[in-house]
Amino acid sequence: MVSNDVLVIGGGIAGIQAALDLAEMGIQVHMVERLPSIGGKMAQLDKTFPTNDCAI
Amino acid sequence: MEQVAGDVGSFQVKVRKKARYVNENLCTGCGACAEKCPTMVVDVFNAGLGNRKAIYKYFPQGIPSVFTIDATACRQLGQGKKCGVCAKVCQAGAIDYEQKDTTVELDVGAVVLATGYEVFDPSVIPEYGYDRIANVVTALEFERLLSASGPTAGHLDRPSELALEREIEEAQKELKKLQRQVSQLEEKHGKPSSEIVRQFQSGGLGESEDLRKWALLAQDLSALDGRFQSMTHRKASASAARKLAFIQCVGSRDFRFNRFCSSYCCMHSVKEAMIAHEHDNGVSSSIFCMDLRAVGRGFEEYKLRGGKQANIRYVRGRVAEITEDEAQNPVIWYESTVSRQVVHETFDLVVLATACVPSAGTSDLARLLRLELDENGFFKTDPLAPLNTSRPGVFVCGCAQGPMDIPESVAQASSAAARAAEIVAPARQAVG
Repeated sequence: MVSNDVLVIGGGIAGIQAALDLAEMGIQVHMVERLPSIGGKMAQLDKTFPTNDCAI
Repeated sequence: MEQVAGDVGSFQVKVRKKARYVNENLCTGCGACAEKCPTMVVDVFNAGLGNRKAIYKYFPQGIPSVFTIDATACRQLGQGKKCGVCAKVCQAGAIDYEQKDTTVELDVGAVVLATGYEVFDPSVIPEYGYDRIANVVTALEFERLLSASGPTAGHLDRPSELALEREIEEAQKELKKLQRQVSQLEEKHGKPSSEIVRQFQSGGLGESEDLRKWALLAQDLSALDGRFQSMTHRKASASAARKLAFIQCVGSRDFRFNRFCSSYCCMHSVKEAMIAHEHDNGVSSSIFCMDLRAVGRGFEEYKLRGGKQANIRYVRGRVAEITEDEAQNPVIWYESTVSRQVVHETFDLVVLATACVPSAGTSDLARLLRLELDENGFFKTDPLAPLNTSRPGVFVCGCAQGPMDIPESVAQASSAAARAAEIVAPARQAVG
């Protein structure tokens, strides 16, 4: 019996993107994150290169 | 993650859900608890440059917008003292000191690993003095200094000045306490402290223990006052960091630590120098590198723009040592490969472009999932199927498989999502 769900381990920019893509396909996603909030390293950044856009 | 059984198509996973000590369904994220919480803790999100309370939200925009109690720092939970302030002020009644860790059991068809990376700890490089010299910071710490929501609200204050501010605050508290004690004694005896100190120093104070204590207190007060004055004077003359140095390949491309290139740090340093210049046009930056790797769409142009518009100087050379002068300015010693001489230059602040290394839990997770790691400790992938780990049904994206920048992480994440969907899709069709 194949399960319909996907587990994403890590709630940084990669984990969030993967989870959102899967959810858009209608798949149930479970995300596991070590810290109290998702966002990861990217949330700690002020701006991003090469456009100097805000990270959050 | 505690336990994994099964195989591709149906993994049975046990996950430990850590107690927040706050009911997620009741907490409104208003922050009244953190306002009143008496315990200060070093703020990890701000790279240790600021403080937060024991009940906290990891960062203001954090999702879920729910507070969490740091059980080790909390007076009630960690230290067994009576406190309960947060429970008293919480109007939603969300605080739950009795909450326990729970185990969640999941049955999933595929697993996507996106466990990211950790910043290399530069204190193992003694010549760069990261531990010794206050004004040597990592790129991530500098990022928090630049951020409008960071500990300095985006002003480029130097860490030495931040430490001075904290010292001044503490001295002020101590000063008030001593002043109160001394003035109480002055009132009690109806004499000024200066007279007692004079008598004490000339040895004419007699045997009275009370008076002796008073004299010592008054002496402490004047010493502390002197120190306080000199500190506030130093603070008044301090200015924001304007002459910056960035040192590339700290912990990467270094055979003592990691042989690999961390790939994003060249552009990261150029970006930080540009943003610093945007905040204050008087900022000039020097980037010390072996070679500046601007590989990516628009990156080369970005680097050149930094040089032309943001006062960035690119210096070819590997920095040998950082020392510190009397004004707590870092001094960089390096060999100029152009003039072939060993030269030194003083800066206000030095930023270390630290390597991207595997996150601490990587090897444990690999053991749990029975995955192989590569020679650098990242999850091993197949060169022709770059999202596949050594186990079918488990995919890896982002810095968990090696250093990469944000656009590449995002692209990989979408690919990994698609690969995972391939596995679970037949099941959905069968059901639907």
